[in-house]
Amino acid sequence: MLLAILVSNSAGNILLERFNGIPSEERLHWRTFMVKLGADNLKGARNEELFVASQKSVYIVYTVLGGVCIYIVGKDDYDELALTEVMFVITSSIKDACGKSPSERLFLDKYGKICLCLDEIVWQGILENTEKERIKRLIGLKPPNPTES
Amino acid sequence: MAQPLVKKDDDRDDEADYSPFLGIEKGAVLQEARVFNDPQLDPRRCSQVITKLLYLLNQGETFTKVEATEVFFAVTKLFQSKDIGLRRMVYVMIKELSPSADEVIIVTSSLMKDMTSKTDMYRANAIRVLCRITDGTLLTQIERYLKQAIVDKNPVVASAALVSGIHLLQTNPEIVKRWSNEVQEAVQSRAALVQFHALALLHQIRQNDRLAVNKLVSSLTKGSVRSPLAQCLLIRYTSQVIRESANTQAADRPFYDFLEGCLRHKAEMVIFEAARAITELNCVTTRELTPAITVLQLFLSSSKPVLRFAAVRTLNKVAMTHPMAVTNCNIDMESLISDQNRSIATLAITTLLKTGNESSVDRLMKQITNFMSDIADEFKIVVVEAIRSLCLKFPLKHRSLMNFLSNILREEGGFDYKKAIVDSIVILIRDIPEAKETGLLHLCEFIEDCEFTYLSTQILHFLGIEGPKTSDPSKYIRYIYNRVHLENATVRAAAVSTLAKFGAMVDTLKPRIFVLLRRCLFDNDDEVRDRATLYLNTLGGDGAVVQTGEDVKEFLFGSLDIPLVNLENSLKNYEPSEESFDIYSVPREVKTQPLAEKKAPGKKPTGLGAPPAGPPSTVDAYEKLLSSIPEFANFGKLFKSSAPVELTEAETEYAVNVVKHIFDGHVVFQYNCTNTIPEQLLENVTVIVDASEAEEFAEVASKPLRSLPYDSPGQTFVAFEKPEGTPAIGKFSNMLRFIVKEVDPSTGEAEDDGVEDEYQLEELEVVAADYILKVGVSNFRNAWESMGADCERIDEYGLGPRESLAEAVNAVIDLLGMQPCEGTEVVPNNSRSHTCLLSGVYIGNVKVLVRLQFGLDGPKDVAMKLAVRSEDESVSDAIHEIVASG
Repeated sequence: MLLAILVSNSAGNILLERFNGIPSEERLHWRTFMVKLGADNLKGARNEELFVASQKSVYIVYTVLGGVCIYIVGKDDYDELALTEVMFVITSSIKDACGKSPSERLFLDKYGKICLCLDEIVWQGILENTEKERIKRLIGLKPPNPTES
Repeated sequence: MAQPLVKKDDDRDDEADYSPFLGIEKGAVLQEARVFNDPQLDPRRCSQVITKLLYLLNQGETFTKVEATEVFFAVTKLFQSKDIGLRRMVYVMIKELSPSADEVIIVTSSLMKDMTSKTDMYRANAIRVLCRITDGTLLTQIERYLKQAIVDKNPVVASAALVSGIHLLQTNPEIVKRWSNEVQEAVQSRAALVQFHALALLHQIRQNDRLAVNKLVSSLTKGSVRSPLAQCLLIRYTSQVIRESANTQAADRPFYDFLEGCLRHKAEMVIFEAARAITELNCVTTRELTPAITVLQLFLSSSKPVLRFAAVRTLNKVAMTHPMAVTNCNIDMESLISDQNRSIATLAITTLLKTGNESSVDRLMKQITNFMSDIADEFKIVVVEAIRSLCLKFPLKHRSLMNFLSNILREEGGFDYKKAIVDSIVILIRDIPEAKETGLLHLCEFIEDCEFTYLSTQILHFLGIEGPKTSDPSKYIRYIYNRVHLENATVRAAAVSTLAKFGAMVDTLKPRIFVLLRRCLFDNDDEVRDRATLYLNTLGGDGAVVQTGEDVKEFLFGSLDIPLVNLENSLKNYEPSEESFDIYSVPREVKTQPLAEKKAPGKKPTGLGAPPAGPPSTVDAYEKLLSSIPEFANFGKLFKSSAPVELTEAETEYAVNVVKHIFDGHVVFQYNCTNTIPEQLLENVTVIVDASEAEEFAEVASKPLRSLPYDSPGQTFVAFEKPEGTPAIGKFSNMLRFIVKEVDPSTGEAEDDGVEDEYQLEELEVVAADYILKVGVSNFRNAWESMGADCERIDEYGLGPRESLAEAVNAVIDLLGMQPCEGTEVVPNNSRSHTCLLSGVYIGNVKVLVRLQFGLDGPKDVAMKLAVRSEDESVSDAIHEIVASG
């Protein structure tokens, strides 16, 4: 299960959060935990450099993409390597939606489109699509390229 | 934080950096959402409003029921628009709002229309939305379409239906299970993701059918899986099959070749999954492990941090069971100590600490010292725990490891970190006698400059126990007495107690200790003064060297013999009044540990938090508890206490179970009660027992429970007299009676007036097995022969039709409540006859041995020959009576 996807700006303010299967009273804890993780480790990090951590039975993969930080939390089947795959899809789709690695402003400008991308990538904690080209077509309600398998 | 590589002019635009959502307010956005009702829809404007709503929701904002309903109804109007972009947004919005069952009806027809649309993408999205908001009834209506969608040639539609199936399986399993054939077909799909989703769903549908999973794995491991994600799933399912297969012999372990083959897959994800699966095999051999360790070793030097992390995490686990297998990777792991990712570095260090040998300890410690300064406390704690284990493994290295611990104790750090270090030192002192004196001195130095009151008091307490037993106890006095001058009242009071312990235990120090204690009489804190006064008076404060009596020592320093949690709860519930606090009113029953904790394998070393001695056995605890109650004190020796029998169902308002205590002439029922309602306080709790179906029993005493606050278990007792030495049986019905008082949840205070109420409990039986103790014998044949045939009684019984021979054997064992010997309670499969040997002690301390011979008489009928030998022929007869009447 993909428990959470969080996007924050570099100051640690949440821009977007999607939780699956985490009760609302625990969300603040996760938010704080991830923002702290970012503040401790992402300083000076290269764009899209992946970071990984585990906390009890969950895994966290996080990165910097332009002016935003992205955190993904998973457990069970979604271990660090599966999360890397998810992170790759998310970062490439966001770059695609924004035309480049986004600044915070650009990310917010393309907010609607990014929400649609995430909706195609993860559905209630399960990875659904992994191809950025396909996602690009799907958010415009266009069928996938027939050459794709 | 890294800045994006952007062109200058772009940068300037961004500098203007105001958020498009600046000053966004929920109320205003909800107002804006009224545009959805316009007769002439503006798709662009509507999309913008939906984006704002999504922004609010994604910020953790919530809508009230009314707001959500209003937005939902407005959004449904947007189905009129033909704008594709807007339609896509509408789908997301409905999912986010997840309308309630009575509202869903509004969109059902629009979504059903989309679901049967010729446009594939409408179908896929409508399926996802419908499945998100549907209930069982609607699902039956759309089931036909979903089954078709699973095998749709468009992979997006198929995936949408399959992922919906995965979600729906949680709520409507019986419906989704009917889709097996379609899902099975989808597993063969050429589209990688469809295969991945289909495999996940198919496994979930069949997960309880071991044979089906086995078949699935057998067919797929032959090589038709296309996506790496699906391959990873397959590896997981394969290891599950291997785990569950009875054959744990490495030589012919099924599917090992498949796992080993996956180590050569082109996707790193698959390689890693296979390596991990191999390392987790039951009784894995070195030969099996080697290829997996080799690939993990390669990952250790990967440029990708995730791979390094995954590899070192797995090796860390392997090191716990097969440290030697990991030693080849030590050099690679040593280079990871300087890894930028601190999680990787910590895992590397802790693995090295597990795999290192005695000679490498010093070198490792040097590396770790440099590393410790730049990691967070949570990682430091992991390292400290690893060092503790290492020290216990190599006690000869205690000097350097203890020095390391004392050095890091002096550095900056939070409470948890410092506590971990102190706990480690304490454990080392307890387990390695040579480390005791240096360890205690390190702790003494630490309290000279310790900012945590809790740790100071705990260390002072520990010093009081261990210090007097050292060769030169006087050297610790200075550190302890300094606390009386320099610390807060809590620590000062602890220091006074510690000083007194030294005085009581070391007679030569006593006069000097008294001088110090007398100085404490002028402390400005009551508790400190009170303690000093108490100790001076009880230990013989005239300064003369006199032996302190054992009684005094027990009174001052002995254990309270009451669970501290219970004492704490009772003290909290005590209201200051004329009546002084009665320590005997504190329940002695230890609150049952949650099951999960009980199951935790192995005993973790405990530090200051727990005393070294384990809790007394249950029987001892019951005996102590009962003898402390005056009403039961003259019942004699406790013969047997049963396991708790639940008298309420799980998750009821009041949880009650009962323990039957059997004495020679009495039976005491101990009702363990828990109040699970925070808003209630129960008082005067008793159980009214109706013994009309237990003729030989007469109620003689009842001990009510004065108060039963929320979540703080307590006991009430009822005692019965019965004919001495006989196994009287009977049925008892039980009614919980109490006065219930409302509790204000904000203040926790109970109202003054209460209402009397009753709560029906299940019935309880005293059976013959309650009078027999399970006591095994090491050699049944010898015991049987030496008992002799004097008091032997043999008879045959027909047990009637039974499900199996094993079921009949278990029924008789349960009926008699005796101890099966030599594993004879296990009946081999398909056997038609069986002999079972039992042993026990009958009430009155009479040894009993039983030989049961079972045979199948016809297809299902079971016949039994019962031979009993005991020291008393009446007991042999009694056993036959139990069986005859059972």
